[in-house]
Amino acid sequence: MKWHTINYLFGEGFKGFWRNRMMAVASIATIMLCLIILGISYSIVKNVEYIMVQIEQQMGITVYISDEYTPENIKQIYTQIQEIPNVIDVEYITPDDALRSFAGSDLALYDKFKNDNPLPASFEIEVNRIENQAQVVSVLKEVPGLEVRFLKSETETFFQLNQSIQIFSGVIIVALIGIALLLITNTIKLTVYVRKKEIGIMKYIGATDAFIRIPFLIEGLSIGILGGMIPIFVVYNLYACAEKMLTPNLSQIFSGIQLITSMSIITELIPLFMGIGVTISAVGSILAIHKYLKV
Amino acid sequence: MIHLTNVSKTYSNGTTGLYPTSLYINKGEFVFITGSSGSGKSTLLKLILKEIEPNQGKIVINNREITKLRHNQLPYFRRDIGVVFQDFRLLPNKTVYENVSFAMQIVQANRRDIKNKVPVVLAQVGLAKKIRSYPNELSGGEQQRTAIARAIINNSPILVADEPTGNLDPNTAWEIMSLLQDINFKGVTVIVATHEREIVNALKKRVIDIKGGRIIKDNYDGRYSDEMAYY
Repeated sequence: MKWHTINYLFGEGFKGFWRNRMMAVASIATIMLCLIILGISYSIVKNVEYIMVQIEQQMGITVYISDEYTPENIKQIYTQIQEIPNVIDVEYITPDDALRSFAGSDLALYDKFKNDNPLPASFEIEVNRIENQAQVVSVLKEVPGLEVRFLKSETETFFQLNQSIQIFSGVIIVALIGIALLLITNTIKLTVYVRKKEIGIMKYIGATDAFIRIPFLIEGLSIGILGGMIPIFVVYNLYACAEKMLTPNLSQIFSGIQLITSMSIITELIPLFMGIGVTISAVGSILAIHKYLKV
Repeated sequence: MIHLTNVSKTYSNGTTGLYPTSLYINKGEFVFITGSSGSGKSTLLKLILKEIEPNQGKIVINNREITKLRHNQLPYFRRDIGVVFQDFRLLPNKTVYENVSFAMQIVQANRRDIKNKVPVVLAQVGLAKKIRSYPNELSGGEQQRTAIARAIINNSPILVADEPTGNLDPNTAWEIMSLLQDINFKGVTVIVATHEREIVNALKKRVIDIKGGRIIKDNYDGRYSDEMAYY
């Protein structure tokens, strides 16, 4: 194909987009709405998962240490615990630290017990996944002089809840992507369908399939790019607003729990949006035209 | 130029569009194909344009056996035949200039040739002043002139017109027929399917009458068959 012909076909694609702008706007709006709904759902689902992971990490194991251990022994046990598979963090809490934490702002209580502290020293152990807690606990129980405490039933319930949420959110995201693909494909099909007569005329005049396809492809891509880009800005700003409003409330209810940053969410959404918008528009327009090229 | 040998067409619903038919149209001829609706006239044109495939027989156009053409060769074959339809079939979102130049873009003509030739052909069909108009801003006659300009812009050796005056008033119909005659004088083979008895009788060209899927008359007396007058 000659360079001036390629140039002409690209120009025709943009002209077609402008001349059929009402249809293009309708298609972009459909793609936008689909992707905005998908983006909002994705953000919610991802945040629920992220919060669950943070709660999971807070549900650690506490190991109380017998008074009989010397600092040397404690150091040894500390190293031993660190080496247990799936343990991601170990923190040694001295009896004094435990008393300070227990007394909080009640200095009188701290003063009363500081010389006769009944609290034992302990390790706060963080495990990578909640389902690995039981295994870590069984290893810890083999070490003499340690008393292991963890929220067994709560941990199990949380594990089940977390699993259900992951399955549920996976289904929602897949279903929404499916619906978006279906709607976008249909919209693109419709834009081509209303111009099937035009395609027929081009065929009668002797246009090759590529000659007919390229402008439609350019038009479809323009619709896909705009339909994919606008929701990125919309979802980013909506999310940033929600993040600003929810973060203070959330940290009041659960200490240390955070939301995913708007930048991280949008970094995940850009390829998803552009992938769906552009690929489906391009592939959809080529497939839709294919049907009318058999004249 | 156009040679049909024992060509027949039966549609999938069992209707026979054309019984085994042989036909020869010479280069530079002007031929009227007449017949009522459902006579097989449209089937014949569709076969020539390779819009449908025959069940049997051989069709040779411009020394090419079109029944053997592959899908990707079809566009190049169609560039040799200019087509004009009753409903004009112009691209609605393109101006008169763009509709005509589109045919040249298809053959990848260079920009300068397009710029030089399109206004000349539009002037030839009497549309010099309508160059920037869109089809919906044109009268029926003007739309048909645009379609004719598009059909002849690439100097196709054959022009097929399917009821070109069907949607036009008598005066405009005469103007279009005279334009087709001018094109024929320049050596283009012109095939016109029509119902217009007066036009056929006045132009005195070869007339092929089709009835019930069969050619019932093919002669050069230039007269519309009396039998056809009832349709």
